Amino acid sequence: MSTTLFLKELKGSLFSSGVIAAVLALYIVCIVYMFDPEIAESLDLIIATMPELCAAFGMANATDTLLGFLLNYLYGFVFTWLPLLMIMILVNRMVVRPIDRGSMAYLLASPTSRLSLALTFALTLATMLAALMAVIVALQVACAEAFFPGDLDVEGLLQASAGLYCLWLFLGGLCFLSACAFKDARLALWAGGGLCLALFLVQMVAGVGEGIEVLQTFNPVELYDPYALAAGEDDAVGNSGILGVSGIALMAAGTAIFCRRDMNV
Amino acid sequence: MGNPVIDVRNLTKDYGKGRGVFDVSFRVESGEVFGFLGSNGAGKTVTMRHLMGFIRPQKGTASVLGLDCFNQRAQIQGHLGYLPGEIAIADDMTGIAFLTFMAKMKGIRNLDYMHQLIERFQLDPKPKIRKMSKGTKQKVGLVCAFMGKPQVLLLDEPTSGLDPLMQSLFIQLVLEHRQMGATVFLSSHIFEEVERTCDRVAFIREGRLAAIRSMDEVRASRTHSYQVTFADSQQLQLFADKAHQGIAIEPATEHQGSRTLLVSADGSVDSLVKELANYSVESLLSRAQSLEEMFMGFYGKEGSER
Repeated sequence: MSTTLFLKELKGSLFSSGVIAAVLALYIVCIVYMFDPEIAESLDLIIATMPELCAAFGMANATDTLLGFLLNYLYGFVFTWLPLLMIMILVNRMVVRPIDRGSMAYLLASPTSRLSLALTFALTLATMLAALMAVIVALQVACAEAFFPGDLDVEGLLQASAGLYCLWLFLGGLCFLSACAFKDARLALWAGGGLCLALFLVQMVAGVGEGIEVLQTFNPVELYDPYALAAGEDDAVGNSGILGVSGIALMAAGTAIFCRRDMNV
Repeated sequence: MGNPVIDVRNLTKDYGKGRGVFDVSFRVESGEVFGFLGSNGAGKTVTMRHLMGFIRPQKGTASVLGLDCFNQRAQIQGHLGYLPGEIAIADDMTGIAFLTFMAKMKGIRNLDYMHQLIERFQLDPKPKIRKMSKGTKQKVGLVCAFMGKPQVLLLDEPTSGLDPLMQSLFIQLVLEHRQMGATVFLSSHIFEEVERTCDRVAFIREGRLAAIRSMDEVRASRTHSYQVTFADSQQLQLFADKAHQGIAIEPATEHQGSRTLLVSADGSVDSLVKELANYSVESLLSRAQSLEEMFMGFYGKEGSER
């Protein structure tokens, strides 16, 4: 771990992460503001008319609680796809581009081991994701308190958010591993990012179609179930644990490759 | 001699299609300035990358200060200054932010020397590196390489993009650091920058070492050719017909009606000038031997030795 590099990478990540956070904040404010048990009923009606479309975007659960509303409209789609975008931007900025353009040479020209360089990158990623999580949780709680005091099940929200963080770690691990493993810059960025996108797409398709539920069996992103997490179900918590541990393992694998590979910088 | 500072043995890295380095061996002794000459794509940067521990040898070993370049890179880097061949600096930083960052990464606490170097190179470090010209970026890279007063300096094409004044300053800097006891390894495809700094020089061609020579040997063996234009073709003919000691006439240049002749003189120009004094000469141009021609000379000689 290099503190100097960590601080520099954090600072360098602020802008792009800030933009993602701002977009998420906009969604949060809108969705919380839109919550109204009566409107929720009419939204339920929409869900009932187009169940497939809503299912594809992970918004298929009719609900009349504020937490259910948030889980339905934010935790299924917005909070998974946009953070994936952020992960790809960060990994590209820290690992893929510096190796491709050659500026990694300067980091390797300092008395810092490759192990600590890679760990610093992984830790920066995990920290930025944690910061993003803190922002969106705080904002949801604050908005809920402002518009509907006392209506939000904060504990449920925290549980779902912890599970979501594990999913983010998993996505981050895939992208980080791919960034470390591939020589070609485009492949390094898109093998991991593309795989994550593909998993989400498969999840969308599987949620819609009948008879193709088998697709859900082998898709790791299915391990993340915000409703079950909010309800505190043990299975869901365990599954999220699997996601989180896998994410860390993927980052460790990426680190191992980073330490051994040739860098033509 | 004691333990070499840089020790490369049978280094091989094959990138296919003849690219890479093959069976390269050399040693650089402590306090020596060692030049590594070769045309583009000859394998200079690949060798440099091995020394920096960016890549692993397929065969052979590379070590600096007795430490393995790949496995003990972090330890080596504490004593090493590096200038990459292509300046690609994290592009959203200003020059000064980058230099202070690198000083921290390298554990350099005293920034006085860094500021001195910035001043000497007349570098304005405030703009973003992305917006700097090639020469200015090169100065940032040079300050970065030298600022820690490292024991070993690895410089890949150090003067590219620098104007002649800054080139001289660079040469002065290398000599100063040699005085301080630094060992310098610099690669180049320009003979002049090597000539003015190096004690010994290695020639690399198509990934193989063609020769290692002391600078004195290189200077002595470097033939000088001159383009002589006589007042008329008669004068030329008179000169060409007579045999001159130590002066060779390049055969292709001698033809009827011409007034211009290419001659080469080994050693000094003295004998040629004295000889030409007997003729009516309109102009005399010195023509430096190109690096490629010099290579061919070495390559031929080494080839026949094998």
